[in-house]
Amino acid sequence: MTPAMKKAAGWLTAIVRHLGIRPRKRTSPEALFRQFRDVLKNNNRSLEIITDIGDILSGDYLFDIQYIRRSYGELSASLEGSLASFEELTSGRYPRLRTVYRSINENIRHAIDGASPQRKDLVVVAEDIDDSAAGAVGGKARNLAELGNRMGLPVPASFVITTQAAEAYLLHNRVMERSGLTGGPDAGRAYQEARELILHGEMPTELSRAIERGVRRLKKRCRGDCYIAVRSSAGEEDGDFSFAGQFETVLNVPSESAAVERAYRKVLASIFAPSALVYQQRLGYGVTDMKMAVACMVMVDAAASGVAYSRDPRGASDSVVINATWGLGTSVVEGRTDSDYFRVSKGDPFEILEQKIGTKESLAVRVSGGGTATLSVPVNVRKRPSLLPEQVARIAGLAVKIEQHFRRPQDIEWAIDGDGKVFILQSRPLRDSEPAGKKPDRAALDREVQAIARKNGLAVYPGGATGRVFILRNPADLDRVSRGDILVARHDASQFVRVMADVAAIITDTGALTSHMAALCREFRLPTAVNTGDMTRTLVHGQQVTVHIDEHEVTVYPGVVDQLLDRADAGSLRMEELSEYRKKRYLLRYIVPLNLVDPLRDDFSPKACRTLHDILRFIHEKSVAELIDQAGAGWRSNRAVKLDLSIPAGIVLIDIGEGLQNAAPRDHVTTDQVTSVPLRAVIRGMVHPGVWHSESVPLRANDFMTSMLRASDIVTDGAPRASASVAVISRDYMNLSLKFGYHYIILDAFCSEVTRNNHLYFRFAGGATDITKRSRRLQLIAAVLHEQGFHIKLKGDMIVARLANIGRDEMEARLDVLGRLISFTRQLDAMLHDDGAIERYKTNFLSEMYEVPSMHGKEPVKRDP
Amino acid sequence: MNKNRIMVIDDEKIVGDMAKLSLETEGFVVETFLNGEAALARLKEQPFDVVVTDYKMKGIDGMEVLRIVKKQYPGTKVIMITAFANLDAAIEALRGDVHDFFPKPVKINELKASIRRALGK
Repeated sequence: MTPAMKKAAGWLTAIVRHLGIRPRKRTSPEALFRQFRDVLKNNNRSLEIITDIGDILSGDYLFDIQYIRRSYGELSASLEGSLASFEELTSGRYPRLRTVYRSINENIRHAIDGASPQRKDLVVVAEDIDDSAAGAVGGKARNLAELGNRMGLPVPASFVITTQAAEAYLLHNRVMERSGLTGGPDAGRAYQEARELILHGEMPTELSRAIERGVRRLKKRCRGDCYIAVRSSAGEEDGDFSFAGQFETVLNVPSESAAVERAYRKVLASIFAPSALVYQQRLGYGVTDMKMAVACMVMVDAAASGVAYSRDPRGASDSVVINATWGLGTSVVEGRTDSDYFRVSKGDPFEILEQKIGTKESLAVRVSGGGTATLSVPVNVRKRPSLLPEQVARIAGLAVKIEQHFRRPQDIEWAIDGDGKVFILQSRPLRDSEPAGKKPDRAALDREVQAIARKNGLAVYPGGATGRVFILRNPADLDRVSRGDILVARHDASQFVRVMADVAAIITDTGALTSHMAALCREFRLPTAVNTGDMTRTLVHGQQVTVHIDEHEVTVYPGVVDQLLDRADAGSLRMEELSEYRKKRYLLRYIVPLNLVDPLRDDFSPKACRTLHDILRFIHEKSVAELIDQAGAGWRSNRAVKLDLSIPAGIVLIDIGEGLQNAAPRDHVTTDQVTSVPLRAVIRGMVHPGVWHSESVPLRANDFMTSMLRASDIVTDGAPRASASVAVISRDYMNLSLKFGYHYIILDAFCSEVTRNNHLYFRFAGGATDITKRSRRLQLIAAVLHEQGFHIKLKGDMIVARLANIGRDEMEARLDVLGRLISFTRQLDAMLHDDGAIERYKTNFLSEMYEVPSMHGKEPVKRDP
Repeated sequence: MNKNRIMVIDDEKIVGDMAKLSLETEGFVVETFLNGEAALARLKEQPFDVVVTDYKMKGIDGMEVLRIVKKQYPGTKVIMITAFANLDAAIEALRGDVHDFFPKPVKINELKASIRRALGK
């Protein structure tokens, strides 16, 4: 070998090693099966522990950290057992899986111990944000990175100044000790002092350089002039609690590091803003608990913007709600002006079901040189819609996509630029407005009590409340609101959070379901209605009233109306509002969710595993695949026993453990001597009266040519033979490889008493006829299996169908159907002369009508189902 | 009607927080303490109907709390909870006239039922 060849060989070896490509090791069936059983055993144990942990942390139990440590210790031990058996089974062909496991394990250990994440970066670019950076970049930035990096949705380019950077800044400026926040009696003054110290603090050199690098990088991503939105992304923000509008956002910051640093200080200081503190206290945070990261994202030059809820927060799951306005979206989320409202059907096409075009008196715009301004909208255009119907549909489509990805309804901020491109600016879980208590009999009530006011409005959170009316004319008067008041205001504002724990209800003249205030009111479960028109002019300040808010209407009665009150709900804490409880539950997000749903997708890989559940799922799927491959390719041993059947299927059996009766002969066995549960079931189907057609099928000339040409592709070990079919069996397991003429089938099944262990894998490929007919046969098979609940993928002339986690009886029933289908469709492709035949044969098959009259030149008769 | 007073002692904040939240929804007045010393000091000022205490704590542990409560406030019922289902601990606690004994994790509904029994409800 020349040195160049040696070098090339060395590279190749390194690449192979890097990619984790390992040759398959041939293992004896017994050893392979033992490894497979070990994987299943450990997987099951792991899944049981995961279920237990989920139960215990559900809020129904008192638990302590020792319980979590002990349970997680057990879980990691059994998962490592799974991993070890899996690596043995697959000859270590998935080394990446262990790396992924280590990283998830580290995140969980950090969550248990409450330690900070390992990453110490001061600035992270969005493209580099993954689960391990979640703690460092805060919830908002993490969700946005998820949309951009994983879903490939249009999000503005960004970088994040991490929580470590914030800690470094606070430490560098000795904010805590200088402000007296660590424990002085005058808390309000200390907060004010802390804000001042942050606003005028010195930037640590290292942080300043990191921000400069971030800004430089962002500028390269801009087209034309580059401005930046500097937004908070606090620890839990956009997680279970919205923190909607609680922290500062600085829009349209020039892309110069000094300007970004100034904006950063403003955002960081907002942790200590009075309204933000009320909210943090409500959620059980101590003063120093809140960790603030700050996202710096390229400003979208918004022609229109707003908020989309991927489901109607009032409970209707079949529609998307969009609020929109011209220019920047600040006026929508802060309720400063009336906005357009669209309710859109969730299906494709996304149709507008309802729309209310608001009178948009003002709009927020970017100002060149930095900052924003509010302009008055000319009177003649105020009532024009800010979105075209196709834009509404596009936003609704994105909202649904995001909801599907996060598998929770979402509250999404979006913007459309001058070219009509939609950007997602933020996404967070949406709180529902759960109906509070029983519905009162309003009709009966109206006969007894005369209502003072009845207005159309939007219910942010329905319910009843009584109290004194407090009409807020001036925002500065908010501090004068007393406990139990009903706050009535012209516009909605997130600042109202300061009194949300005290007031009995909030009603506003304008406002949107999708505003920050609305999100907060839902979290406080505070009866709230917005967009009621002129409640501030209808009600009288100081008057004692009872309000009743339902979906579209607000009714106000004089005095106290008991039957409308639901006192237990509003303002009461729930388990999830305990910060200690939330911290403990946080680790579940690395354990429980299943992201790896579809094994037939290309991203079903170790890299895509984000939770322990994903890893278990991957291990299970790939273990089954390994069995199928090895059983199909390698196990032709001299221990094969011929199975005597009433049909000429030509199957030989290899028993690897209790698949046959002990007393069964060594050379051939009858079906009665088979003890393998899955094999018995499939054979029962195959020999079902009428399904196996023995007469020869008249191949047409082109079919015959195809069969001649295809013989060598399909059967790799030479000409097709009747005896090429083999089943590797044990009592619970079967791997059946059938070769019928020119098509072949693999059926792999585990069928036991433990539902979770059971799986069914069916693969059908090839055929003697031309591709059109072969494809029709696959469509027929797919249609039948679809009815049976299989997950199906059709690829070329191959179909793969899977089913798992069903009970033993159901497994046997499915195997019986598969047996019938195998026999029934064996030669059927030749008869599928038109697409209509697919439906006819499907209906017949499902009606247990197995005759194939067309074999004698006639089409089958369709029987009414 | 006077509300029943329940004291919860556990050196892990989460146990007290969760117990307080769930018991308050039942109409009890609940106070939580992170150690036996503070709890016993409070008992001197204010009688409680039921004390729910962790078994293993630094300083004054659950058994000590049980002994003192039984001696000084015989009308107060004590419910013991412990991190591990430790048979010896259970026997020791039962000898000390504990009302009930639960291994953690404790199902909150079972704890509520036990408290109601302790109050004769």
